[in-house]
Amino acid sequence: MKKHYGLVYTTPLTVWITLFFVAPILIIVLYSFLQKGLYGGVEWRFSLDAYRALINPVFGKVTLDTLAIALVSTVLTILIALPCGLYMARSRHKNLLLILIVIPFWTNFLIRVYSWIAILGNNGLINEFLRGLHLTESYVPFLYNQWAVTIVLVYTYLPYAILPLYSTIEKFDFSLLEAARDLGASHMESLVKILLPNIKAGIVTSILFSFIPIFGNYAVPLLVGGKDNVMLGQIIADQITKTRNWPLASSISMVITVVTTLGLAMLMLIQKRQADAQREEASRAAEFARNGA
Amino acid sequence: MKRLVALSLFVALACTLGITGCAKKTGDSTLYVYNWTYYIPDDVVKQFEKESGIKVVYDVYASNEEMYAKIKAGGTGYDLVVPSGDYVSIMIAQGMLEKLDKSKIPNFANIDPTILPRINFDKGNEYSVPYFMAAAGVSVNKTLVKSYDKSWNIFSRTDLKNKMTMLDDMREVMGDALKTLGYSVNTHDQAQIDKAKDLVLKWKENIVKFDAESFAKGFANGEFSVVQGYAENVFLEYDPAKRGEVDFFIPKEGGPMYMDSMCILKGAKHQDAAYKFMNYIHRPDVYAKIADFLMLPSVNFKARDVEKVKPNYTIDDMKNCEFKEDLGTYLDMYNKAWQEIRVGK
Repeated sequence: MKKHYGLVYTTPLTVWITLFFVAPILIIVLYSFLQKGLYGGVEWRFSLDAYRALINPVFGKVTLDTLAIALVSTVLTILIALPCGLYMARSRHKNLLLILIVIPFWTNFLIRVYSWIAILGNNGLINEFLRGLHLTESYVPFLYNQWAVTIVLVYTYLPYAILPLYSTIEKFDFSLLEAARDLGASHMESLVKILLPNIKAGIVTSILFSFIPIFGNYAVPLLVGGKDNVMLGQIIADQITKTRNWPLASSISMVITVVTTLGLAMLMLIQKRQADAQREEASRAAEFARNGA
Repeated sequence: MKRLVALSLFVALACTLGITGCAKKTGDSTLYVYNWTYYIPDDVVKQFEKESGIKVVYDVYASNEEMYAKIKAGGTGYDLVVPSGDYVSIMIAQGMLEKLDKSKIPNFANIDPTILPRINFDKGNEYSVPYFMAAAGVSVNKTLVKSYDKSWNIFSRTDLKNKMTMLDDMREVMGDALKTLGYSVNTHDQAQIDKAKDLVLKWKENIVKFDAESFAKGFANGEFSVVQGYAENVFLEYDPAKRGEVDFFIPKEGGPMYMDSMCILKGAKHQDAAYKFMNYIHRPDVYAKIADFLMLPSVNFKARDVEKVKPNYTIDDMKNCEFKEDLGTYLDMYNKAWQEIRVGK
């Protein structure tokens, strides 16, 4: 008799996802609909207070600010990651380059953020250099503004964007580019029209791998952000530790989850539309070929 | 979900019973202490073990919230905790603390009698024995700032714009503004909170950021000239050889201060050991050792004569300060004001 291995294979994954993904999210959803306890925690009474509190324009502003920083950082990350991934995939020293990408992970993330403070600070490396060249007498304030946050976020999530791009580009058949050149496309045209559509899956993965963690980031704006750079992640942490409002922390996390899921759904929808359009075009071409013959 | 909670409570309970179960066998030869990180030198604990024959199991926390959540979730077998004042009052109200028999702590008499009447979170110290009190102040790098007034209004100075930081801590910063305006750091008056908010917004124009994490590092490398914060954080980072460059002061208007106190948890199994430990801590020679280690002002007046290290500031510097108390439901008023300060309207 044929054994049903399907269940055996899927059970560990299902249990894992349920325990560490579905259950926590359900608890967050549940907490967001409960009343806050005076000293943290929740009271087991249904309440919409946490969502009513979200109407506060303060949260709207923070959400928009966070979205803006996340979008700009993600776009920059992808723009830098694309040529890196392309170069790596074509290089003869692939393995060496891969190791170089991974090496920063050997150092703790917070230490790397602190080293950015040492680089960008008023008495930091860059300002020392500028003073040495007499380009400035005192210092250029690089740190503690949204650009410092953006730079450090791009730096932090760049490897996460490069790796999926690299692995997709590596599988790309580069003779297609030569064919495009033979048919009269310029170098740039061949990259944009042939390479980009073929590595779309990698680009989407890179966007997700950078946008999602950036949108919920906490440590980077806390350490290199200025007095006006508050991101959603910080507000959530404050609600848990300082203002003792767990339901509000939960409802804000729901905002992050919903925004991310909507973005994800939109990306998937666009991809599906394009795939449909392509299939339709292909079948029309096939029909045309049949009729012609 | 309820079943899940019940299950985890059951597990927690089982663990507690497990701990206390084996503790019973050893009687009062063990003491479970739950204290802040880096809040007692190791040799002070070792010496207690040697003198009393009681083994100390020591565990640490980094915030009142962490300690409270852990105890609340199901008493993990600790005997002695050291909450700050606001949490002492919360834990009293929740029936989580044991009433003290002060005849078992003769060294309580060594505690500065001028301090005790200022304690509102546990009037008459029925549940708590003061451990250390402290306040955030202002550190000035004297090589970068030549003349200044020892006042919170240093943050109004536009010539120091973008060279100053304040803590990312609602109670501290709001408390400083309230004190500057002559109000209580525990006020429940909306109008006073609004005025304090306006003052903080004025300060905000001149500071570079609200920071409770890395301000001391930035101050130590000359990035910031003036920072508000705790002395121990600043001096931990600052080159000891250049310590003379730093002036740490508690502004003359006063500000919020806190008192961490030793308390026995309700139903603690090793209360005799806990009493012995509290009494030991307030022995002048022992207390002086801890004060020298922390460089904090001593609440034990007899220890002051034995201390070898000059504290960063004295009890007298805090004469205009006020203990932070639990705000209960009024916390929301502060939250709202603070949000408007941090994010804008």
